Amino acid sequence: MSVPVSSSPLPPSPGDSSPARPSAVTPRVLARSRASRQRRATRVKLWLGAGCTLVVVVPILLAGLLPLPGPNEQDLAQRRLPPLSGGHLFGTDQLGRDLLSRVLHGGQVSLAIGVLAVVVSGVIGVLAGAAAGYFGGGVDAVVCRLLEAQLSLPLLMMLLLVVALFGPSVPVITLVIAVAQWPELARLTRSLVLVEREKPYIAAARVLGLRRGVILARHVLPNVARPASLVVLLLVAQAVLLESALSYLGAGPQRPFATWGRIISDGQDYITTSWWLITLPGLVIVLLVVGVNLLGDALREATRRGRKADA
Amino acid sequence: MIRYLARRLGQSALTVFLTVTAVFVLVRLAPGDPASAYAGPTASPEDLARVRAQLGLDESVLAQYGIFLRGLLHGDAGMSYSFRAPALEVVLGRLPYTVTLAVAAILVTAVVAIPLGVWMARRADTAREIGASVLTVAGQSMPDFWSGVMLLTVFAVLVPVLPASGFTTWAGLVLPAVTVAVLQIALISRLVRREMAAALAAPYLTVARARGVSERALVWRYGMGNSLIPVLTALGTRFAALLNGVVVVEVVFAWPGVGSLVVRALETRDYPLIQATVLVTAALAIAVHLLVDVCYPLLDPRVRLGKAAAA
Repeated sequence: MSVPVSSSPLPPSPGDSSPARPSAVTPRVLARSRASRQRRATRVKLWLGAGCTLVVVVPILLAGLLPLPGPNEQDLAQRRLPPLSGGHLFGTDQLGRDLLSRVLHGGQVSLAIGVLAVVVSGVIGVLAGAAAGYFGGGVDAVVCRLLEAQLSLPLLMMLLLVVALFGPSVPVITLVIAVAQWPELARLTRSLVLVEREKPYIAAARVLGLRRGVILARHVLPNVARPASLVVLLLVAQAVLLESALSYLGAGPQRPFATWGRIISDGQDYITTSWWLITLPGLVIVLLVVGVNLLGDALREATRRGRKADA
Repeated sequence: MIRYLARRLGQSALTVFLTVTAVFVLVRLAPGDPASAYAGPTASPEDLARVRAQLGLDESVLAQYGIFLRGLLHGDAGMSYSFRAPALEVVLGRLPYTVTLAVAAILVTAVVAIPLGVWMARRADTAREIGASVLTVAGQSMPDFWSGVMLLTVFAVLVPVLPASGFTTWAGLVLPAVTVAVLQIALISRLVRREMAAALAAPYLTVARARGVSERALVWRYGMGNSLIPVLTALGTRFAALLNGVVVVEVVFAWPGVGSLVVRALETRDYPLIQATVLVTAALAIAVHLLVDVCYPLLDPRVRLGKAAAA
């Protein structure tokens, strides 16, 4: 490497810390340079995010295996026990149900809806965005108008409307959240495809006589899939929040499902006497969403920087 | 300029019209009968038929739509079933509360988020800034119903310094506005940081610094001056979204605004009220977007409105 390290935007390789030729740039100066500070910030976010996410997700996935009472097992003799008492880590609720068990089982519903919704919105968004970007013209106009119309609508109000009218079943809620989220992915995919379709390899594929649909499916989509997939984590975080807001307002999956939003809205009546009923479930939601958001942020930053270094 | 405004107004009217039509169709597609909600649980089939005729629900959907459109042209969105008063008047009566809350929240957001974002951009990736950015992620990840209830518990129940709900004194505005602002501050400050980081790294800033421009002028006049358009756009978009009713926060704090009205209208299948709410809020949101766009040339003399629309 002949470029002087101090002006190089590239992260220093390990060999640079003991330079063969004398340099005023000490490892300490390097550690304070913008590039290494950025990498450190990304690393902190990555680990913190992964930590928060795993702390919540692993127990949720194992909820069935953990030695916990069932989420709907009532024991009226043990109502509203504070946390850490009577073998209840999070305490019990107004019907004597184990709060931790309810939070974990509610998390299964929330996570399943969140992931499913993002998968559905991903399929709709990527297909619509790719078609709009690649074919342009009429397809593009229709997709763009639809996007604009949806972005000018009051989102939560429309979601409530649809759920209130068609009933709060799990498929309806999943679909509603998916429809709420497709614009983001569609716009991103469209802008990525617009760049991709002008590249020489697409022209080459056209010259070779491939049909447009084949080019789009076999050559364009695989190349935009990776950057587009980076927003997926952020969308999952959003979906979990939306689902909990809906179920807080009573428009979530109905009983017997314990959902995060309803655990909190039920516990609200006892807030002056039993603080844990809403504080702990809320903290679990925050921990999960913070974790997923940080993870998504860090991955995006890392990829963006990686691409800049390649160029 | 006038031609531009005329075209934008035309487009906006079309969007509002399509939105209202979509809602009109949607509420009628859904199961559930407003007549039974109107007449009460003890109504006989004859009563129901009479109520249906009285509300005009026995006509075909197309005929109902015709009546609805004719009413709209006269500034009449029908009678609310549950309030037994003109729906438009009911909504407009609630509007001042929602507007007050939205204005307060957006002011708090601007005052906190812009300096915070600038500070984060200037101290990018230092330990303290990483802490602050994790905090903004947390603000973005808190479900607003949860943070609202927590704030309410702390400041209205444990340390009763602020009123818990409703709007009787101006102090009642504090908790809802802060709850709404937490999320907005998180979103806007991250945007300001991104924009300012780009502006501060621009070559013209280095030149200005080399010529001895003071650091304060560098940041606020040169950096902020050039970041103002995206920041203002974001503030406008957020404000428009707030006008659409901060449904959850209004429900938590029993705020007498449009958001809590919607929830009630949905519960009672009050078709005219749902339609009037969507009409008013969509029109307002679009007006705010238009206002923001018209402001661009004032902030940046390079922007010409006609061209911006064509691009």
